[in-house]
Amino acid sequence: MSSVLLLNLAWQISTLALVALGLAIVFGKLRIMNMAHGEFVMIGAYAPVITSMLGLPGWLQLPVCLATVGFVAFVLERTIIRHLYGRMFDSLLATWGIAILLREIVELVFGRGYQSVSPPLTGTFSVLGADYPAYRIAVIIGIVLGFIGLYLWNTRSKVATQIKAMVGNPELAEAIGIDTARLSAGAFVFGCCTAGVAGLILAPTVRIEPMMGLDYLIRSFFALVVGGLGSLEGLGIGAGIIAGTQTFLGAVASQTYGYLAVLTLSILFLWLKPNGVRSSSH
Amino acid sequence: MTALLEIDGLTGGYQDTNVVFDISVKIEAGSLLGVLGRNGVGKTTFARLVQGGIQASHGEIRLDGQPIGNLPAHVRRCLGIGYMPQTAMVFDDLTVQENLSLGRNGKPPDRYFDLFPRLAERLKQPAGTMSGGERKILAFVRTMIEDTKLIILDEPSEGVQPENIDRMAGCLKERVAEGAGVLLCEQNLNMLAGVSDLFLGIDSGRVSMTGTAASTSREDLNAVLML
Repeated sequence: MSSVLLLNLAWQISTLALVALGLAIVFGKLRIMNMAHGEFVMIGAYAPVITSMLGLPGWLQLPVCLATVGFVAFVLERTIIRHLYGRMFDSLLATWGIAILLREIVELVFGRGYQSVSPPLTGTFSVLGADYPAYRIAVIIGIVLGFIGLYLWNTRSKVATQIKAMVGNPELAEAIGIDTARLSAGAFVFGCCTAGVAGLILAPTVRIEPMMGLDYLIRSFFALVVGGLGSLEGLGIGAGIIAGTQTFLGAVASQTYGYLAVLTLSILFLWLKPNGVRSSSH
Repeated sequence: MTALLEIDGLTGGYQDTNVVFDISVKIEAGSLLGVLGRNGVGKTTFARLVQGGIQASHGEIRLDGQPIGNLPAHVRRCLGIGYMPQTAMVFDDLTVQENLSLGRNGKPPDRYFDLFPRLAERLKQPAGTMSGGERKILAFVRTMIEDTKLIILDEPSEGVQPENIDRMAGCLKERVAEGAGVLLCEQNLNMLAGVSDLFLGIDSGRVSMTGTAASTSREDLNAVLML
């Protein structure tokens, strides 16, 4: 296997894991099947475009991304989502409608055409004997470090334990003083913000357009189906299998075979192992 | 002097169906109200109405003179109402230690580990893997260490070994001596008669009997369960 293929695998797996993280949090912790997840990735990807339109310095892209995505997620949670916790099918329909609404609003503001932005890091870096874009290397390292931090937070922090308690027994969680409505809202906004950050990170490497979120939603869903809900390990495994299969077959055969293999794998998992490789309450 | 808990004309239930009707009672600080009645008469609904898990359709609930009837459960907990449910009383996926450390605790659990050593031995074990009786004890200890001014317990002795029920009763007496008010829903007459200062019998969601420990005989209590 060539060094470039190996690095492409690392890029695809790490970015898919980041994109799917928000969906895993919102679905795994709140039982909300967020069909608008891809649209939050899309809004995050538009953050550099917004920053540029407003004439703001480049370092404000992340704050603009978090403010925009966080605001939209907060308003949606307050008005629609909080009435749908635990109602999976209702939430699926409602968020599907929200996804269409968000796409239309973005199209109205920015138009239907493609946008593109430059990466904040240019040039290449020599890794394993291959020259690879420095931006991608930085993103891979950043995502790995971010997931290590998230794992430590998930296993050691009181808030993470409170979230697990709320998911397992919401009435008892309320009884011991946990404000479950606030915690759920926080988890939803956090999940959407991770999708936005994923969009911001991916923005320099993709074409930014209102329909771009759909592909990320589907691949994230496949990663969760294969990996299993409720654990970071499952998310990593799912992203590894889906992104790995697609990238490898895309390189040695064609993208069509890659998509076909991913789709087949997902159907097989839904059929034979519906809880995924690793599913837990954590 | 204002009672710790005042309940006046409390009526409520689930959705549009009321289960308890027009219950009025007071609990003073440093006293224990024993609530008894057969299965399905509304004891749990009564406890949940006071705790805030469900909202009353009529009536008032005051804690230290302040109305709390419209407040959600987590706010009532912050104001000093601890609650042990009858079912789903622990976080199954969390360890014993996590169950004990999650709440707004005021007391260290060490003293309770001496009384219930099985808990100390199983700190790292998920609570969901324990027996029913052990989970009851875990939930009981969690409620005790929260150190709240009002403690609501719903059938704590169900499935617990007799010697541990005696220890639970001892803990309740201690907390009452420290000044806490306790609302104890229970069908175990031995436990209830041993710790209660006041009794409230419920039948078909309505008050069927009230009395003090001095004025209520064992036959009176038995009669409530036989109704």
